[in-house]
Amino acid sequence: MTKNTPHKNRSGRIMLFLVAAIYLVIFYLDPSKGEKALFAAAGTLKIIGPVLILVLFLIALMNTWIDPKSIAKHMGGESGAKGWIIALAGGVLTHGSSLVWYPLLADLRGHSVKDGLIVAFFYARAVKIPWLPVMVSYFGLPFTVILSLYIVLGAWLQGMLADKMLGRVKREG
Amino acid sequence: MRIKFPASRFAAALKHAVRLLLSIMPMIIAVIGLVGIFEVVVTPQMLKSLFSGSPLADTLIGTAAGGLSVGQPFLSYIIGGELLDDGISLYAVTAFILSFVTLGVVQLPLEAELFGLRFTAVRNLLALAFALIISVATVATLRLFS
Repeated sequence: MTKNTPHKNRSGRIMLFLVAAIYLVIFYLDPSKGEKALFAAAGTLKIIGPVLILVLFLIALMNTWIDPKSIAKHMGGESGAKGWIIALAGGVLTHGSSLVWYPLLADLRGHSVKDGLIVAFFYARAVKIPWLPVMVSYFGLPFTVILSLYIVLGAWLQGMLADKMLGRVKREG
Repeated sequence: MRIKFPASRFAAALKHAVRLLLSIMPMIIAVIGLVGIFEVVVTPQMLKSLFSGSPLADTLIGTAAGGLSVGQPFLSYIIGGELLDDGISLYAVTAFILSFVTLGVVQLPLEAELFGLRFTAVRNLLALAFALIISVATVATLRLFS
């Protein structure tokens, strides 16, 4: 199980209270704008909700079947090139809102996955494979290819820098 | 050989996952609420009005505007395309597209709650710096080969 979860702090409730207060102010000042914001939020929740349930089962299955030592071996401090490849490929290939990946990544972090790999994963998600044809149509193929390559390179560099800055490269086991 | 499903271990793991999700649910709902507000308040017209025509200033504005925006990635391509048509530099447009998908001001509270303030600060500062670096490198490389 993870070391950093579940959370017992009250920041979530305070934040929820603040956001609710902002909505009340918007509804008071401009009810139609408040309604639009609420509908937009409901639309996001509708998309994210089912994926969060899927993530819940993924976390449970991961904690059931995968040995924490194995995660540390493949994505811990001693994972080397294999860890970077998994993080970068995972970032490029996964889709959907980052919100739904936060709980899973936080759980993995509790299993000794090094910070640099999480940073690299997050940045590599900037390559949006399903949207690449749209990018090509707006900016051309050379721009899309060059930007995508730099994003992956940038993700790796940021991961390396994050490990140095955070100094939290955990050792295997 | 039959593999027996470890039901009790799965039940314990599921219980842990549910507790984790429930503990962060207020923050997730708060962030989703913020997404709704940002979608209404930060409109494409508002974003376009921020740019001045100076490549350096616009690159910084593009990075900040992208970080404040929320929505599907293709929205950044559409806004970016319109900005290019309006004569805004490709540096600024690239920085905008990049920060749109790599920086998330709205998601900062959730990220900080789950990963800690230090991790969140380092990750987002690196993403901010790399939005600028990659936008310059991309346009420079493109010009080198064209």
